Amino acid sequence: MASTSNSLPKVVAVTGSGFKATNILQRLDRNRSIHKVISLYYKTPKLRLSRTKYIHLDLTEELADAKLAEILKKEKVDTLIHTAFPITPPRNLSFAHELISVGSMYVCNAASAAKVKKLILTSTTDVYGPFADNPNYLTEKHPARGFRKNSFIKDKSDAENGFLRFARKHPKTIVTILRPCTTMGPTVDSFKTAYYNLPVIPTVMGYDPLMQFVHEDDLFRAVESAVYEDWPGIYNIVGQGVLPLSKVIELTGKYRIPLSMIGLKAFVQTLWYLDILPAPASYIDFLKYICVATGDKAELEMGFVAKYTTKEAFLSFIGAERLRRVHLVEA
Amino acid sequence: MAKTKSFNPKLRLLNFNASPAEAAPQPAKSLEEQIREGETKLLKKLDQIENKLSKVGNKRNPADAKALQQELKALREEIAKLSTGPEPAKPKNLMATHHVATDFRSQLSRALFRRILGYRKLKSEKILQANDINLNPATEEVDEFGRDYKFEAKIKPISDFFYYKYWRISTHGVENVPHKGRALLVANHSGTLPFDGPMIRLAVNNDHPARRAARFLVEDFVYYLPFVGTFMYRVGGVRASQDNAERLLNKDHLVAVFPEGQKGIGKLFNKRYQLQRFGRGGFIKLAIRTNTPIIPVAVVGAEETHPLLYKSSLLAKPFGIPYVPITPTIPWFGLLGFFGLPTKWTIYFGKPINVAQYGKKALDNDLLIHKLSEQVRHTIQEMLVDGLKRRKSIFFG
Repeated sequence: MASTSNSLPKVVAVTGSGFKATNILQRLDRNRSIHKVISLYYKTPKLRLSRTKYIHLDLTEELADAKLAEILKKEKVDTLIHTAFPITPPRNLSFAHELISVGSMYVCNAASAAKVKKLILTSTTDVYGPFADNPNYLTEKHPARGFRKNSFIKDKSDAENGFLRFARKHPKTIVTILRPCTTMGPTVDSFKTAYYNLPVIPTVMGYDPLMQFVHEDDLFRAVESAVYEDWPGIYNIVGQGVLPLSKVIELTGKYRIPLSMIGLKAFVQTLWYLDILPAPASYIDFLKYICVATGDKAELEMGFVAKYTTKEAFLSFIGAERLRRVHLVEA
Repeated sequence: MAKTKSFNPKLRLLNFNASPAEAAPQPAKSLEEQIREGETKLLKKLDQIENKLSKVGNKRNPADAKALQQELKALREEIAKLSTGPEPAKPKNLMATHHVATDFRSQLSRALFRRILGYRKLKSEKILQANDINLNPATEEVDEFGRDYKFEAKIKPISDFFYYKYWRISTHGVENVPHKGRALLVANHSGTLPFDGPMIRLAVNNDHPARRAARFLVEDFVYYLPFVGTFMYRVGGVRASQDNAERLLNKDHLVAVFPEGQKGIGKLFNKRYQLQRFGRGGFIKLAIRTNTPIIPVAVVGAEETHPLLYKSSLLAKPFGIPYVPITPTIPWFGLLGFFGLPTKWTIYFGKPINVAQYGKKALDNDLLIHKLSEQVRHTIQEMLVDGLKRRKSIFFG
């Protein structure tokens, strides 16, 4: 599992155009030891980096894998970072399935055709799922059970399994799966940040689960170390410490309304269809049960320790949110 | 504080800004008198504190009271020395008087402050707070297993009420719990609702001289329940799982486990004090893996708080729990019924059993592990029988 210095990447491609892809591109663009950085975007990016080559790619269209393989071969890509996932569960579930599950399959196919040396996938600790019988600290060995109740997480699990299958088939390729917990930070825009941005925050009466956050900088540091060094396998990327949901909401300075469990599912689902709540009813369990992972493996093997604790990560998000409200930061 | 009130303002006036005309009406004698007065006041206050502390100490823990009394004695002697000690030379003028006074004051206050701070520390760190140094929280709100220090301190009077007044818990053999390092408290589970975990925690916290904070493992199904699950997290409960227990023990904690699990807590009243099967010997494996001594614990009296008459699984379906218990108080008395009957509890701590001596090879030897688990079970059963023999009345012990 030792890192080797002779495998420094020369051409790195990043799929996706969300905050993860944008930030990773910025960091890689700065590094002169990388010859070329390629952005495989779907949404037109707001800002163009000087050394980065931008190529449009739609992973949901037919023969996307052939197109991607062609690009990878032509540009001689040796490291591929796959972040092209919707962060927020989309209302169109079939589109989500196409993009996450089938899209990852396309990426794997293209990578095997183009003989990419390294594949990196950014997943999430949500794949473990919120369960009352979870241990307080989930390790990478724990089965990912999140798909049982949630079709959006099921797609993510599918993507992970696809990558793991790929790793088994191609033992020479280094496949790294990073599982960050809920990412917080000034540039993060996801359904979880949308939840904390609601004017009053709904919770489930009688439940106060422990929450865990990781700062975006820490996540991108972990991705960088996975790019420059070889770390095959699954790694949880988490901030230290936990906070109960009630204290998290106290930090936002907003009120919370504890909702009764009776009829909550239908209520939340309706509000989600009406575009008032940011997540469907299958996410209620995240407000009830624990889903906290341990970053011990990343610390022992990668030497990765998050610089921001859970509280600091959340406070940095809150700070940016305050500035955004008075239009000091661009939305 | 008395001394700041009596000394400070006038001395300041004298020291810095006072013109001689203003200072003149303050003769030297009055200053000395003021010092004497302040001193007597302080001594009186100390006496009061001493009385209070001795009352508290006598009741709860004689060792603590002794330490406190010794400290107080030393403090009193020091103050007496200060007041009767070498007499200051008679000051010639006002400024000199002031110097002597400030010197005396600073000496007195320094000594006093040191002592008072000491007491506060004793009170807050040793008595109110448990020594959870190892679970260093990265966020100050809760520690890594969701225990809320502030919440626990807030409900300490209530839990103490249940400990001292309601169930009148007495402990035997707490000295078997080590002052430092890891240990696994293996106890019988009883009483329909898992109150024995928090009470064992309180017993170690209140009656053990080291004021150790034990963490107790709680069944899965508790965490499915609203309010109860959250409450258990905040007061130091941890969900029962090998991962959690191992993590705690590797940080040198006291962990209380109930190997009977749900079978023990949910047995009907006619099977009271009969230990059920001890799981699959997971706790023995845990002790061997983490090199931990096992301390058998027997809780006598908890069975009768909630005599379980009937288990209704039909009523339980809408709540998502295994069954709804029917006892003399649940559900007839509503929320009050959850506390059950005021029986007298006794907690016996047995001699440590060292299972780690068998080494890690024993982990694969299932027969040996089963044997060891049975051995621990027999020890606890014997302790239970002994305790029941000694008990004369359910409600008065």
